[in-house]
Amino acid sequence: MPTPILQVKDLHTEFLTDGGVVKAVDGVSFDLYPGESIGIVGESGSGKSITALSILRLVPDPGRVVSGQVLFHDQDLLQLGGEEIREIRGRDIAMIFQDPQSSLNPVLRTGFQIDEAMLAHNKANRKQARQRTVELLRRVRIPAPETRVKDFPHQLSGGMRQRAMIAMGLANAPSILIADEPTTALDVTVQAQILELLADLNRDLGTAIVMITHNMGVVAGLCSRVLVMYAGEIVEQGPVEQIFEHPQHPYTWSLLRSIPRVDALRHERLRSIEGLAPDLLHPPAGCRFHPRCPFRVEKCFTDEPRLQEVAPDQLAACWVTMERARKEMGADDLIDIRPGAGSGLRKGELTE
Amino acid sequence: MLNRGTLIYISQRLVLIVFTVFAVSSVVFLGIHRLPGDALFNEHLHGTQYQLLLHHYGLDRPLWDQYTSFLTGLFLHGNLGESLVNRGVPITPLVLRELTVSAEVGLFALLFTIGLGMLLGVVAAIRQNTWVDYLLSTTSVIGYSMPSFVIATFLLLFFAVWLDNFTQGTFYFQIGWTGRFGTIGEIWLPAFALGFPYASIVARLTRASMLEVIRQDYIRTARAKGLRETVIMARHALRNALIPVITILGPLVIGIITGGVIIENIFGIPGLGKEFANSILNRDYNIVIGVFTMYAAMVGLANLGVDLLYVVIDPRIRY
Repeated sequence: MPTPILQVKDLHTEFLTDGGVVKAVDGVSFDLYPGESIGIVGESGSGKSITALSILRLVPDPGRVVSGQVLFHDQDLLQLGGEEIREIRGRDIAMIFQDPQSSLNPVLRTGFQIDEAMLAHNKANRKQARQRTVELLRRVRIPAPETRVKDFPHQLSGGMRQRAMIAMGLANAPSILIADEPTTALDVTVQAQILELLADLNRDLGTAIVMITHNMGVVAGLCSRVLVMYAGEIVEQGPVEQIFEHPQHPYTWSLLRSIPRVDALRHERLRSIEGLAPDLLHPPAGCRFHPRCPFRVEKCFTDEPRLQEVAPDQLAACWVTMERARKEMGADDLIDIRPGAGSGLRKGELTE
Repeated sequence: MLNRGTLIYISQRLVLIVFTVFAVSSVVFLGIHRLPGDALFNEHLHGTQYQLLLHHYGLDRPLWDQYTSFLTGLFLHGNLGESLVNRGVPITPLVLRELTVSAEVGLFALLFTIGLGMLLGVVAAIRQNTWVDYLLSTTSVIGYSMPSFVIATFLLLFFAVWLDNFTQGTFYFQIGWTGRFGTIGEIWLPAFALGFPYASIVARLTRASMLEVIRQDYIRTARAKGLRETVIMARHALRNALIPVITILGPLVIGIITGGVIIENIFGIPGLGKEFANSILNRDYNIVIGVFTMYAAMVGLANLGVDLLYVVIDPRIRY
């Protein structure tokens, strides 16, 4: 087993609000190996973006990382001084964001904003930086990069802006690229291009990628491992194929089940997860998912489950797990996530 | 930046300024000739001497005739006529010279307005909710609650009288104007008095706008790429924060131009503002018209300058 390039250990990030303390990230731990690409999935407010921001200490006020470790090359990023963490940002660990519309500075030329990433770390002089910027833009497949570098962000399309953001992220050839929902603001065809681009970069440059998304499809296309977050905690993690085939946490199962499918029956309704994401000011006792869980047992109301191995390499934090639900609750039909299953309709039943 | 569209825009605006100057000078010209009494009233002249002077200034001709020759003089030859009090003194070179004096005071005041205002605003924003922020906010409330003539009077009292007494003549502010252009020593106090109320407005606006900007996603991007905090503030935040500040710069510049009238009179600066007051008191109607015409042109040009600043600061704006 190679040594992990990044180790997040028992990370706690809290927001001090007027109403009380919101535990946005509550004890998250994971390892990232060199060249690997992992996905962190969850609903809005599950703490996935804050986890990513905590790694580079970019959590906005009034949030703060209260405990835990983020180990990168044996140094704890959470203990570094301001200048030391600045040197890591963008050079060793780069980050790209959700909305390329607002993530680029509107009054500065796109090319300059990429040059800046290199100049900030004294990686090149202005001329070399510009040369590399043109190369990077070509690498992320922006047409006519020599002229595009002089464009302002508003002169680029949404897809091109996100490509420019990725080029900025890659400027210093970082060993880790954190992508916080990079495709959410883009239309579907552009999404596919961006994901393909990220997959290429991961393969060709060996950049490890942490992909934050709420879209299971994105994870399936890009990542080898997935962490599922719910209410600030990791509820399940494991290899992507294994998780997709045999989700063990009911929340993971619900997420997979709610993906709209092209081959769904026409009269079938979209399946959603009942209820709302919990209020993190007053998280439910016991398992945080229990108010929305169809398979809950008495224990779920009172005792919080810990992550435990449910299959080789696969961890889930659940008292029941889908395995037991299937066997003991006779929920076989319900558990089937194929089209039509669980909706009371069978494929071929509607033939008018 | 100076592409074809911008040049067309500038020429359109210049044409508009000419129209404004035409309208303002016409209103003043016609209005002043409707006033009771006449320009030579103070001199108690009689008989042929009086008639000769009236004829010299063309005041015996019909109003319409005087008006057309005034307009042709102004727009074709740039000639504003001759002073009624100091006979034989042509007005155009006089007001142009005074304009440069006023412009000097105005530009220094603008320097205080923008420089001091932005500096205080940025510092208050970066130190939000600390004693620095509270102190600066309080100062700026005081600043824009006081009209510039009140500030000017207090400053004079302090720097020209009390300081002189206290240091027994070693340090004091010398009121007045020695050369054609004022020295820094002569100009800083009037410029400060003129600019400070506006600096307070700019400071408040810059603070609010900086606080807005530093929450933006692109500031987070700038941090994520490892830029130094000073670079983030100066290069990424401030330029965006300036956009709303420029919006109020138009009215502020006009305030500085018109506020200069009072400041010049308080500090004894021989500019357009001093001439403005003197010419009215002297009933030197031709100079009154000349001064108003100059003010109209100045306000128009200053506004054009402010509007062109937008293009420099915000690349999304094109004319």
